[in-house]
Amino acid sequence: MMDGSSNKIEAIIRACSVITRMNKALPDVPESKNMYYKMLTDYFTRVQRAKEEGNFLAAHTVFFPTEILYAMDIVPMHTETTTWMIALFTGEATELVTAGAEIGLASEICTPHRGIAGAFSLKNALPQPDAIVWSNLICDNTAKSGELIAELSGSPGYFLDHPFQESQQERKYLIGELKGMIDFLEHQSGKKMNWDKLSEIVAFMDRQIELFREICELRKAVPTPFSPLGFMDLLTMDYFFPGQPEAIEYLETVRDELKAKIAAGKGAVDNERFRLMSLFVPPMYLMGFLEKLSHEYGAVSVTEPFFTHWGEGKLDPNKPLESVAQKAYMIPEVQMYGPMNDTKIQRVADLAEEYKVDGAVYYADTGCRHTCALIKLVKDTLSDVDIPMLTLDSDVVDPTMTSEEETREKFEGFFELLEDY
Amino acid sequence: MIEKFREINSSFPQTSYVKEHKSSGKKVIGWLCTYVPEEIIHAAGALPVRITGYQQEQELDDGTAYLYVNNCSFSRSCLQLALRGEYDFLDGVVGGSTCDGVRRLFDLWRKYIGTDFHQILSIPRKFTESAHELYLSQVTQFKQHLEEFIGAPITDEALVKSIELYNETRALLKQLYDLRKSDNPPITGSEVLEVLEAGFRMPKEAFNQLLGELIDVLSKSNAENKGRARLAVVGSVLTNAEFIKSIEEQGGLVVTDELCTSTRYWSDPVVLDEGKTPLEAIARRYLNNFPCARMYPSDERFDRIIQLIRDFRVEGVVSQIIRYCVPYAHDLPLLIKKLDAINVPVLALDVEYGSSGSGQIATRVQAFLEMLEARK
Amino acid sequence: MKALGIDIGSLTTKVVILDGNAIVSSSVVDSDDEAEVGARQAIAQALGQTEFSLDGNYYVVSTGARGKSISLNKKHKSITSCLARGIHHLFPSARMGIDIGAETGLVYKMNERGKLKDWATHDKCAAGTGVFVKQMAKLMQISMEEMSQLSFDAKTRPEISGTCAVFAESEVISHVHRDPPTPMADIAAGIYYSIVSRLMALCKRVGIEKDVVVTGGVALNKGLINILEQELGFKVLVPDTAQSIAALGAAIIAQEQIEKGA
Repeated sequence: MMDGSSNKIEAIIRACSVITRMNKALPDVPESKNMYYKMLTDYFTRVQRAKEEGNFLAAHTVFFPTEILYAMDIVPMHTETTTWMIALFTGEATELVTAGAEIGLASEICTPHRGIAGAFSLKNALPQPDAIVWSNLICDNTAKSGELIAELSGSPGYFLDHPFQESQQERKYLIGELKGMIDFLEHQSGKKMNWDKLSEIVAFMDRQIELFREICELRKAVPTPFSPLGFMDLLTMDYFFPGQPEAIEYLETVRDELKAKIAAGKGAVDNERFRLMSLFVPPMYLMGFLEKLSHEYGAVSVTEPFFTHWGEGKLDPNKPLESVAQKAYMIPEVQMYGPMNDTKIQRVADLAEEYKVDGAVYYADTGCRHTCALIKLVKDTLSDVDIPMLTLDSDVVDPTMTSEEETREKFEGFFELLEDY
Repeated sequence: MIEKFREINSSFPQTSYVKEHKSSGKKVIGWLCTYVPEEIIHAAGALPVRITGYQQEQELDDGTAYLYVNNCSFSRSCLQLALRGEYDFLDGVVGGSTCDGVRRLFDLWRKYIGTDFHQILSIPRKFTESAHELYLSQVTQFKQHLEEFIGAPITDEALVKSIELYNETRALLKQLYDLRKSDNPPITGSEVLEVLEAGFRMPKEAFNQLLGELIDVLSKSNAENKGRARLAVVGSVLTNAEFIKSIEEQGGLVVTDELCTSTRYWSDPVVLDEGKTPLEAIARRYLNNFPCARMYPSDERFDRIIQLIRDFRVEGVVSQIIRYCVPYAHDLPLLIKKLDAINVPVLALDVEYGSSGSGQIATRVQAFLEMLEARK
Repeated sequence: MKALGIDIGSLTTKVVILDGNAIVSSSVVDSDDEAEVGARQAIAQALGQTEFSLDGNYYVVSTGARGKSISLNKKHKSITSCLARGIHHLFPSARMGIDIGAETGLVYKMNERGKLKDWATHDKCAAGTGVFVKQMAKLMQISMEEMSQLSFDAKTRPEISGTCAVFAESEVISHVHRDPPTPMADIAAGIYYSIVSRLMALCKRVGIEKDVVVTGGVALNKGLINILEQELGFKVLVPDTAQSIAALGAAIIAQEQIEKGA
C-alpha cells in the first residue's frame, strides 16, 4: 500500500451534514432533498462504522444484486458511486485517480474504476472491506476491476458472471452464479442467507420500480415538475438502497411533491424553454454549475432512456432468487447491455416523442467506451424524428477534462440551435 | 517458402482462395474472436474467414465517426473496412460477447453493414461447469442457425472431419513453434505471424499442406536467427508482422507470444473422447483454451504465460496493448507483478492497432534490449 | 439602426458593420488583455472608415471566446451560430462548414436559411489543428508555404498517427531519418492526411452535405485543402475574408434583431 490518505468516507459524511444544515436554513427546500441527504449520511455512516459495529462489509460494483447483501445483513459499499460521490462532495477524486495511475492503470481505464483502484491502494482512504463482490455489468471495466481491488485490498472476492443475452439457459446460469455468491458470502461472513428477508426485499424492490415508473409518467407534464438534473438522485436509490423501505418512502415523497407541483401548475424551472433528453452521466464536478445553467436557460432533463426507464417485467416475492435475476435484466442501464437491437434503439425515439423532447444531450465520457459507441446510432435515430443532439466530451470524475466555461459555450450554442430549430 | 504465404496475404481481405470459394457458389462466413468455433463453419461447407482490421495502422475517420474515438482502434479498423465495402463478400458474420469494443462493433455492423447472417455468442467469463453448459447451448444454437441459413444439416460426421482437420493445423503450428525453442530458430517471429495471417483467409486443407512443406524446409535448413535476448510478445490482437519485425531488426529474438492471432489461436486441440458429441468436444475446447484477458480468474492466463516463458526460455516480455483495450490494460499491473516474481522484466507499450512499431516504440524496444543485455 | 458584429478571439478582435445587407465597414485588430479595450479599439477603427460615430444607433452582437464579457453588446451568440450565418451570407448554397483554427477544429451544418443544424468539435488534442501544422513544418525545417507546395508532389502518404501530436512527432522524425529517407513531399502529404482524416471523422459524425466551406487560418493552406478535397471527393469553397466570418455572422444576427424591432 502507498502512503496514507485522508478518510474519504468521513469527508462525504461531513459534506452531507453541511448540505443538510444549509438546506435547513433555506426556504422552500423540498422534504425529499432532506431525506436524500439523510439517507446518504446513514449509508456512508454504516460503511464507516461497519468494523467497529462488528458488521461484515462487502464492496461491490455497479448494477449489482445488492438485495442479496441486504438480505444477509451485510453492509454494502458501492465502489463506482463512492468514487462519484467523492468527486461530487469532496473534490478529492483527483488524488484517487492519480493513485490509480500510479499502480499502473492506463489512462484509458475510466476514472471511476481508476479512482476506486487508487483508493484501495492508499492507506485509510476507504475502510478495508471484508469481501469484494463484482460483476461484468456493465462493461469490461466492471468485469476486470474487482480482481484488481481484491488483490490491492487483500480481501477475498467473488466474481458474478452476468450472461450477455436473455435465453433460458442464460437465466439459469445467472441464478447459479447468484447461488455461488451466496455460498461464498455465507462462508466468508459466517452469516446465513435469510430467504424471508430476501422475499420482503424483492417485494419492496418491485414497489420501488413501480414508483420509478410513476415518477417518470409525472415528468411528462408541461412544464415538467421534476428538477433539471434530479435524475441523478433517483439513480442513487437503486445503486444504494434497492428494496429498502427508506427508498420507498423517499420515492413516494418525490412523487407527491411532483403531483403537488403539477396541481399548482408549477414547473421545476420558472420558464421552461427546452425539454431535454439526457444520455449517460453528466460530470459530477459540474453538477452545481449545470443546475445553475438549467435555471438560467429554462432547460430541464425530462427523460433519460438508459437511466430512468425500467425494462418490462414484474418481480415475484415467492421466487426471490429468480426475481433478483429478473431484476438484473430490467435495470434501466442494462437495457444498453446485450445486443443493441432495433426495439431497444427505437425506444429512444419513442421516449423523445412521449416526453415532448426538444433536444438531447449525450455526455460522452472519455472513459466509457460502450456508451460512446452508441453516439452515432442514437444520433441517427433521433435525427429521424428531427431531434438535435449535443455531444459533450466530458469525464464523470476528472475535473481537468472540461471546464465550466467551455461547457457553457457548448450548451449556449446548443440552446441557440434549439431556438432556431 | 515464406513468399507463398506473403502472396496470399498480398490480396487482403479477399484472397484468391476466398474468390475461388465464392465463385463455386459456396458461402463465406466471417468470424471475429477466438471464442467462435471455426469447425462448425467449416463443417457447414462454408469458408471461415477471420475478420480483422487493416493490415497497417490507418487513419480511421469512418471508424471513429461511428464507434467514437474512445473505442479501440481494432474495432474501429474492422468497422471502417466493412463500411468501405471491403467485407461485402461475406455472407455472414459471427462474433462473441468477448469485450465492449467487439460487442458494439457488431451492434453497428448489424445496423450499418447488415450482412445476411448475423450471430453473437454469449461467452461466459468463467471456466465452471455451468459456464460450459451455457457456452455449449450457445454453440448449439449457432449450429442450428447456421444450418437454417445454409439450408442443410451439419452432421456429426462432418464435424468430426472438421475437428480432425483443425487439430492437424494445431499440431502443425505446434511443430512450427517447437522449432523456435532452439537457440537460433530457423524462422523469425514476424515470419510466423505472416504464416498465421494467411491461414485466416484460406481453406485449412490447403493451409495444412503449405504448413507441412514449410516445416519440412525449415527442419532441413541451416537458417539461424540470432538475437540479443529471447522475447515473448503478449497483449492485444496483433496482425501486422511489421511490428514484430521492427523488434527483430533491433536484435530482439521473438520466440513466442500470447496473441489471439497466434498461440492463443492454435494452442489447444479439440479432444474427441468417448461419451462426448463432437459439438460438446468443440465447446469444451473453445471455452477452456488459452484464455483471453477477459476471462476470470486471470491466473489461468498468467500461469500459461509463465509456462510459455519456461518452455521457450524467454528473457523479456513485450506487452503491446491497444489503447482502450480494457481487459488487457486492467491485467497489466497484475501481470507485471507476477512476472517480476519470476524475475522476467516487462516492456509495456501502448499502441494503436496495426502499428508498425516504428518511432517512439522502436526507441523503447532498443532501451529494453539494452537493459536485458546488461542483466546477463 | 446599424448592425455591428464583433468577434473577440484570443488573438484578434474582428468587427463587421452592416447597413441592411451591405457590409459598410470592417476591422481586425490584435486582441487586448482586456476584452473591452480591444473591442473599443476595433470598433473605433471600423467606425473611422465610415461617417458613422458610435453615438449613432448600433445594435451590437458579440461572439468569440471572450466576447461575452464586454458591456457594449446587446446579445452574445456562440461562434458556431455566427459562422453558420456568416457562411450562409457569402455562399447561400453552403450546407456545411469546416473551421480549422490555431487550436480547434470545428465542423458545423446549416439549413437553407443559414440556421445552425448540428456541429461537432475536436476532442482535446493538438493533432489536427493549426498549431500542429506549424509544429510539423518546424520539425521538417521548412516553411509552412514550402510544406504546402511540396505536398502536391507526393507519390504516397506514409502512415503518421493522427491520434496524438507527440506520437506523430516521433513518427515524422523516423521518416526523416529513415534509410533511405521518406521523400519530404510524401511526409508533408502524410501529415496533412492525418489532419484531414481527423476532420473527416468529425464531418462523418454530422453527415457530409454539399456545399462545403472551409474557414480559419488553415483554410489558406492549399496543400491541405487539396488533400481534403481528395478525401471529400469534391471541391470546397474558401472565402477571401476567412478571418471575419464569425463577426459577419454576428452582424447578420444583429440585423435580424433590428428587423424584428428588438
